[in-house]
Amino acid sequence: MERLHTRVLLQWSAGALVTAVVLAAVAGVVASLDPVPVPVSPLAVAGVAFGIVFVLGVAYAVLRYRSWRYEVRADTLYIERGVLTRVETVVPYVRVQHVDSQRGPLERLLGLGTVVVYTAGSRGADVSIPGVAAERATALQERLRDLAIESEPTDAV
Amino acid sequence: MRLHPLTVVYRIGRRAVSLGWGVVVGFAGASSIPFVDARLVVAALAVALLALVGYEVARYRRFTYALAGTTLELRSGVLSRREREIPIERVQNVDVSRSVGQRLLGLATVRVETAGGGSTEALLECVSAAAADDLQTDLRRLKRAAARGDADAEDATGGSGDARPGGEAGAADGVATTGGELDATAGATDEAEVVFDLGRRRLVLASALSFDVRLLSVVFVAQPVVQPLLAPLVGDLAGVTTVVALVVAVLTAVALWVASAARTFARYYGFRLVRAGDDLRYERGLSRRYTGTIPLEKLQTLAVEETALERAFGYASLSVVTAGSVGSNTGGGSAAAVPLATRGDVLALARDLEPFADAAMERPPTRARRRYAVRYALGVGVLLALTTAVNALVTPLPYAWAPALLLVLAPVAAHLKWRNVGVALTDDHAVVQRGFWTRRTRVVPHDRVQTVAVSATLFQRRRELASVAIDTAGGDAVALDCDAERASAIRSRVAERAVDAVGARRDGNDSH
Repeated sequence: MERLHTRVLLQWSAGALVTAVVLAAVAGVVASLDPVPVPVSPLAVAGVAFGIVFVLGVAYAVLRYRSWRYEVRADTLYIERGVLTRVETVVPYVRVQHVDSQRGPLERLLGLGTVVVYTAGSRGADVSIPGVAAERATALQERLRDLAIESEPTDAV
Repeated sequence: MRLHPLTVVYRIGRRAVSLGWGVVVGFAGASSIPFVDARLVVAALAVALLALVGYEVARYRRFTYALAGTTLELRSGVLSRREREIPIERVQNVDVSRSVGQRLLGLATVRVETAGGGSTEALLECVSAAAADDLQTDLRRLKRAAARGDADAEDATGGSGDARPGGEAGAADGVATTGGELDATAGATDEAEVVFDLGRRRLVLASALSFDVRLLSVVFVAQPVVQPLLAPLVGDLAGVTTVVALVVAVLTAVALWVASAARTFARYYGFRLVRAGDDLRYERGLSRRYTGTIPLEKLQTLAVEETALERAFGYASLSVVTAGSVGSNTGGGSAAAVPLATRGDVLALARDLEPFADAAMERPPTRARRRYAVRYALGVGVLLALTTAVNALVTPLPYAWAPALLLVLAPVAAHLKWRNVGVALTDDHAVVQRGFWTRRTRVVPHDRVQTVAVSATLFQRRRELASVAIDTAGGDAVALDCDAERASAIRSRVAERAVDAVGARRDGNDSH
């Protein structure tokens, strides 16, 4: 069982930061409009909102990181994840259509990548592994591609 | 080959009908604006009509199609010209539809679809009905020949007909009428057998049973709202309004039921399912005839559906889910194979298409039933809180406490839901069931499985339950609320069987 790279925590925390800033701004503006008289200053409201949302976001990122596991097995790719809803997915290599590796700007900065496995199933690109170290992502993509070719299906559907 | 000459008449007629409103508006406008002479309007309309006729004639003259060996060639376009070649082996579906107008003129529209993209690759509007049937048959024949790499298409057709297992007709006997009823065009060009004929009696029955009982509840829930509205109309003698409201409710229910029945009747009028080699072909429709093919080699899952009403009378319907652009009318997704037949007949036909073994359904553990009961009770609680809040804060409601009575129903509803959830595994298939109002039983062959996922929400984990989603190219089948360990076992087993089954099929194909 492999785990994600710890730097993914930074990536997800950055997401939480953005959300917290936006929500804090909204809370501050609503408080400054003053529809109901609040005894505290809008800045304090914004600060508290930011604190709560950011702490929750980081906590969620930690839990999410701890829930993530994946394994490249003999015939299948196995993935386990989810904080509130736990999901364990099995993808037989015979069903793999193609494998992508994606790297967003933030991921590039952190030296991470996301590996996306496509099947013909109705859930489409449901199977993606985020927070994989860049060189590992490339290796994983190549390995999965080789495994998919090895077990070549005659008919993808 | 060209389209049918009457195409010009049909298309101008259709355009004229849709433009008819514009004509009316034009005249009304002309009479109200003093500067514009009515004669000018007539002249403009005449020019427009002439232009339309000219365009349609030119379109007809430019449009040619040809079935040349391995491709379907189309040339079309009045101003910008287009030539298109469609490799026949890529053709997925050939659909023929006939509207009322087309049937009067003896025409039909043919749509040829390939797997790529959601749009129709070739649209022949219109050819004669006979030519449409011929084209459909020829395309299928050539496609099969192309798939075999066989030069002689005629031989290929004969071969596939002989190769069909003899037991098939016998197995489907309960629902089949013999091939003798086939009309001349289909019978002469292809060996097809009617697998299912809906017939008058079953059509009427299917229409009558198509009603969703849940709609009734809406009618009766709406009654407290209707009653005060009626009061000023009928006078407020004690009891009169209640009676009138009841009558209105019953009449509305009947009207809804008739409307639903009429819709089903028009949809499935003259439904017939024909099997030709590896394809199922259906015909249906009252005002507009639909003909479509269901390619069996693309079969993903079979779905047996029974509404509560149908279950009570021992009836069911069957649909075949194929791969392809899900959501389009015929290009993929779900196509009804049998709108209504007795449960036994439906299962016999389903087994004929995809032989799956009989297996007893495993119901979820009883703690799942407790979970449903709690869920429904919470729902009732929310409703009660809402009505109480409205009663206290907004406007007085006469029976604000009434939702509390629904609490009695929560355990009953939970039991009914629980009794209709289930999963069964056989050597080659996974069978999954759910739904009380409409019970859907999905049969997934292991060699069609794309991914398997076990998921457990926070609430499911509290009771050690989990759901297994078995995904195919034609939608997923979910086994709800299994015991957590059992869910893992199902996941491993299905994934293992999927790998084996695909391997086995591959080996089988290689040895040919």
